[in-house]
Amino acid sequence: MSDVASAHDDATVLLPPGEQPRPARSGAWSRPGPRRMARREFRPRRTIPGVLVAAVLAAAGIIGCIWAASAALGHPLWNVSYGDFAGPMQTTAHWDDTRTLAIAAAVAFVGLVLLLTAVLPGRPRAVVLASGDDSVIVGVPRRSLRRSLGWLAVEVPGIDSARVRIRRRSVTVRATTRLRDTAGLREGVRAVVQERLDALDPLWPPRVRVRLRRKRE
Amino acid sequence: MTRHTARVSRTGLAIIGLILLLGAGAVLARGLNASASVLGSSHAPLLTHAQVQYPARNGWVWPVVAAACAVIALLALWWMAAQTSTRTVRRMPVEPDRLHGTTVLRADAATRAITSELGSYPGIRAADAALRGPAVTPGLRLSVTAENRADPAAVRARIETEALPHLRTALERDTLPTVIRLGFSRAFDRNLA
Repeated sequence: MSDVASAHDDATVLLPPGEQPRPARSGAWSRPGPRRMARREFRPRRTIPGVLVAAVLAAAGIIGCIWAASAALGHPLWNVSYGDFAGPMQTTAHWDDTRTLAIAAAVAFVGLVLLLTAVLPGRPRAVVLASGDDSVIVGVPRRSLRRSLGWLAVEVPGIDSARVRIRRRSVTVRATTRLRDTAGLREGVRAVVQERLDALDPLWPPRVRVRLRRKRE
Repeated sequence: MTRHTARVSRTGLAIIGLILLLGAGAVLARGLNASASVLGSSHAPLLTHAQVQYPARNGWVWPVVAAACAVIALLALWWMAAQTSTRTVRRMPVEPDRLHGTTVLRADAATRAITSELGSYPGIRAADAALRGPAVTPGLRLSVTAENRADPAAVRARIETEALPHLRTALERDTLPTVIRLGFSRAFDRNLA
């Protein structure tokens, strides 16, 4: 239990210093367990691959059922000719044929991909924020945060355009300007972005980096 | 909290992936002659004559195959339904006192109340809410679009200290597990609409 307490202390020390008053931060967000749970909330759910695989399985099951039932009644709906399937399977197709191995390798690859899709946690779709209540999980969708920070950066006088990239530990702003004298511009952008991030209070405060490029006329 | 569909999807994908991987792995092992004593010769044809004749000689094969395929299809359809269900709560019991009758609250009345309250806050442009999960212990999913120029700390403080407690009071609950997705938009058309 003692290392939980010390983790608590470390986490509070790591918070970015903000001058303006922030909403209360529940004590739970200083502990690693609730923080991980909150982040898990925004991890990809894998519903799309799951539904696709389920649809393929259902279709195969229905077709196979209809075919086997008709074969059981003695009138297969469509005949698989002996020369196409059962004949070659007994004579020309062997276990060590390149084709057999290639098909088996492809199926194994698909299986591996499905298994990894299921097991790998995936990148969270949102940046998790601290909230005042540990039963309330707040997240800003990554794409929304990118656009929001980009708009803020463009509002800095002298900045023409800005693109934002959000990683787990860092936020990178690539801004362009037409001004010749770029003194203070980078700091201005950084201040605006940092201020917004401080107000949002992410559970994992990212480092803000600004790259400024001068556009020539 | 509301990770139910994620668990359903991921478990199913892991099972199917494992089946494919192990089956194809066995074929590869035989084809590459990994262990001839267990799996058989790698140079043999895929099917023996006896295997090809088997369904014709045994009448039970095709009905069993049909039944197995039907089971697979039903399981797959059930899996699909379980993944796509949003588990949105429509009615929820407010006073779980069976002896004196129960009070049932329509969930959309509660969610409409919180979305209209949120929509009236300055700085919030749109809000959407849904109660999900089991009707007795539902969770709230809230999706809020704030104006980019608004102070997000103030917006969040109002959601957490006013709107959510109001909803909890209305639902007569001390805690309501909540997931908020906070987005931002530019305020171009707020006053034009």
